[in-house]
Amino acid sequence: MAERRFSFFTPGQYAVLALLAATPFIDLAFPSIQLSGPMRTVVVYAILALGLNVVVGWTGLLNLGIAAFMAIGAYAFGILTAEIYPFQVGFWWALLLSGAIGAFAGWLLGAPTLRLRGDYLAIVTLGFGEIVQDGLKNLQTITKGTEGINPLPKPTIPFGAHIDAALSKVGVGSAATTDSAGTTATTALSATESVAGALPRWFDISSETPARWFYLYLILLAVVICLCRNLEFSRLGRQWFAVREDELAARCMAIEPDKAKLKAFAAGAALAAVAGALFASHLASTGEPANYDFQVSILALCIVIVGGIGSITGVVLGAIVMVGLSNVVLPALTQAMQRAGIGSTENVLSSPDNYKYLIFGLALVLMMRFRPDGIVHTRKAVKK
Amino acid sequence: MTETEVFLQQVIYGLSNGMIIALVALGYTMVYGIVELINFAHGDVFTLGGFLALTLVGALGAAAILDPNTLGDSSHWLLLVGLVVTAGIFCGFLNVAIDKVVYKPLRRAPKLTQLVAAIGVSFILVNIALFWGGAPMEVFGGGNAAAASKDFPEILEGSNLLGEDSNVVLRLEDLAIFAITIPLMIGLTLFVNRTRLGRGMRATAQNPVAARLMGINTDRVISATFLIGGFLGGAASVMWAIYNNTISFQMGFRAGMDAFTAAVLGGIGSLPGAMIGGVLIGLIRAMSDQYIETRWTNVVVFAVLILILVFRPSGLLGLKQREKV
Amino acid sequence: MRFGGLTAVKDVSVEVKPGSITAVIGPNGAGKTTLFNAITGVYEPTEGRVLVAGRDPQREFSSRVTMGIVVTALATAIFLAVLVRVEVLWQAAIIDNYVFQQPFPWMKAVAAFFTTFFGGGFFGTWLPLLIGALLGGAGRLVIWSRTRRTPDVIASAGVARTFQNIRLFPELSLVENVVVGMDRRLHTGFIGALFALPSALRERTKARMDAMALLDFVGLADRAETAAANLPYGHQRRLEIARALASKPAVILLDEPAAGMNPTETVDLMRLIRAIRDAGTTVVLIEHHMRVVMGISDRIHVLQYGEKIAEGTPEEIRNDPRCIEAYLGKEELG
Repeated sequence: MAERRFSFFTPGQYAVLALLAATPFIDLAFPSIQLSGPMRTVVVYAILALGLNVVVGWTGLLNLGIAAFMAIGAYAFGILTAEIYPFQVGFWWALLLSGAIGAFAGWLLGAPTLRLRGDYLAIVTLGFGEIVQDGLKNLQTITKGTEGINPLPKPTIPFGAHIDAALSKVGVGSAATTDSAGTTATTALSATESVAGALPRWFDISSETPARWFYLYLILLAVVICLCRNLEFSRLGRQWFAVREDELAARCMAIEPDKAKLKAFAAGAALAAVAGALFASHLASTGEPANYDFQVSILALCIVIVGGIGSITGVVLGAIVMVGLSNVVLPALTQAMQRAGIGSTENVLSSPDNYKYLIFGLALVLMMRFRPDGIVHTRKAVKK
Repeated sequence: MTETEVFLQQVIYGLSNGMIIALVALGYTMVYGIVELINFAHGDVFTLGGFLALTLVGALGAAAILDPNTLGDSSHWLLLVGLVVTAGIFCGFLNVAIDKVVYKPLRRAPKLTQLVAAIGVSFILVNIALFWGGAPMEVFGGGNAAAASKDFPEILEGSNLLGEDSNVVLRLEDLAIFAITIPLMIGLTLFVNRTRLGRGMRATAQNPVAARLMGINTDRVISATFLIGGFLGGAASVMWAIYNNTISFQMGFRAGMDAFTAAVLGGIGSLPGAMIGGVLIGLIRAMSDQYIETRWTNVVVFAVLILILVFRPSGLLGLKQREKV
Repeated sequence: MRFGGLTAVKDVSVEVKPGSITAVIGPNGAGKTTLFNAITGVYEPTEGRVLVAGRDPQREFSSRVTMGIVVTALATAIFLAVLVRVEVLWQAAIIDNYVFQQPFPWMKAVAAFFTTFFGGGFFGTWLPLLIGALLGGAGRLVIWSRTRRTPDVIASAGVARTFQNIRLFPELSLVENVVVGMDRRLHTGFIGALFALPSALRERTKARMDAMALLDFVGLADRAETAAANLPYGHQRRLEIARALASKPAVILLDEPAAGMNPTETVDLMRLIRAIRDAGTTVVLIEHHMRVVMGISDRIHVLQYGEKIAEGTPEEIRNDPRCIEAYLGKEELG
């Protein structure tokens, strides 16, 4: 790791963020596609996978139950914001608290189990992922069982009213320049509206444009990337790497692997919980507990591994590829085939959606066999 | 039903299910003992064994099987043994093939890499089972709903062996499970302890490099391990299908989790450990179903796993591992 | 130190004077590395102690441990008791008190929570509390007793080591390897790391400068940014020494530092070890190269079959007939 000079992101990270930021323009060009909604899922999964990357990529612990922490985050968010409960703390506080609750859950699971050999831990986390689903399903009084908690709020822009007021004072001229990206991406705005009139609405996320919502999520992803990067280059990151490379040697250097692992576990769980909260807000519901099943954990693992284990840029890129494939391309393909009348729902083989497991499985096996470091390499050691 | 009868009934359920779990657990523990890999795909090999059995039943004609006039009385047993052996051999060779194609090239790779590859294989097999479930056969529902669970016909007669008035039910299926699993376990123990190949397995498990230097063909030993592990898994899948009268493309996931928990509980790498662990898990599940609540059973099993790992990290019969420095 | 029925090292007592170089020699399998492992806590000695400056470095059963056990027991107890009746408690505290879109009576809810919590009777409240307290306390105790004498505890007490089979962090750069060794002297916490606070960045810069100085000391400064795995074997040994030195240990244990080195490298190594001693660090080394051992040691201990057969200055050892016999049959030493 070269000496880090101060910058928020690396060029690679700028590149993936820019790539994501460009997607709403596809909607603009082809209004029939409506990518912004599915692209929010990409961002959610990117944050989830970044959390998993802290645990798997940096600390070398296999966590097969990351979806459980996502579920905990989603339900915490639901309980804290839904109108059926008295808390109703609003989007931002709920987001932060979900992260904290996720970290606590991670700590709770990690404290008794992190001393285990690596492969035992994998099974413990896998079991945890299953029982969290069971628990959420069973505790109907609290979680509403398979109905899920809803409706949940969309994000609001912090100080949005103040910004609106300030901007309207500044006037049209400067506003037109700052908001060019926003308005062009906003297909819903009618042409008759003036730019000045449109501007305040850009910050009112609850209004009709999915693009604004997506950009807010993207900003959150950027913040997460920045924080992950801080951790990567810190004392803590170094401890994680040392534990991953050689636990005993790290121990002999006075590092307590258990504590380092616990922190990694809690940090990963917190990020997963934040992803869960964003997911719940995106769906306006926690959905049913089965939304956070083993398949989600494996999708997150695929993202990390395909993208490049240990690399932030790689993980975000992996999220774009894998989630894009499973949540955008495959459903679109299925729909298109149905519309064209090719294949039937009767025949399993003719529905592209049914190949998901196969694609995940093949991706994992082939990556492990031929390119275990993923698309984006971070390893510096020469293979012997 | 009296308290004692309820308890006895749960013991019977627990033992029967536990025996099946133990068979699957043996597959995990043997492979782990030899190559230190959690063969994540084992549960799904188990699934495919069940699918093969149902396909065979379908091909032979379910109605004909259920009619004692066509096959005669003992033929139910014949069919059962035939299914167990066929599914076992199929799963054994499938397991060996997976090892040769996927795991062998990765033998020297980091453990994480191998485990992730195993998870990948597991997903591929799940997808194969899904497609298989959509096969246009009557037993699979004519290929209409691939993901739905499939009914497995009752092969053994369902009446109560303890007499129709008895409150405790012991069915032929329970006996069949004991009659098949116990000889398999004894056979396995004899094989590992008495034969040359078995000695090779134990040697390879302790120190593969030394074993190779002593002239043991470790590749053959590893293949044999996968073969036997797969065979036991396949045999277990048939019994599971007969006992529960249903199979689904995801059944291997839950069964695999239970079996792995059993292997860890008994001490991974230890054969008697896996057997005891399996039976214990079966009993814990049955007791939890009865005395707590069925919907909380998975949580109870998980709690037991955590407790064991905190207080006895190497399981009930496992040996403490020491890292070479 | 026993493994099963085998006694690997028996009744070996090695006393090391501060600021000296002590060598432990003996034929293969004499138990030298096992001795190191027992000292550094990699293996738990069956009996015996390690004293550093008169103190046994292990986690004492202190008031802090007792506190930890009590807190864990309490927390587990409450957690379990809440968990088994979470739905009932939720119903009583939240659902029964909440009227849609009306202000929520918080005090009433808290009161309802506590009445319900303690109103569970023996099986609802007290049994879960008891089981939770027992499990939590016992679990914490078990974990404490397992980590009482782990290598990190010994290392924190100022005993650093290198390994016979080099154990670097292969993917990390040389300088990062050394900074890892420095870890016990760093203070950055989670918050500092997460937000890259100025104090954390300052500490980082300082640590890297110190690490560069150490790399310079062992002669590897010019390759500071390459991955450790890409380093030739002899250099890897020196990097291990730099990493061990980084923690500013009182004692450094070197396990066969000259293994696989050519004569020039060996001479460099001897110079390096002397320099370490002169900088005030006590050195204990295992070595087979007699030239190194005889050349730099102040005192030599000879092990054979897990027992100490001789101890003395290089001169005394060279003339001790038992040592000559133990070592390579009858061949002359050094």
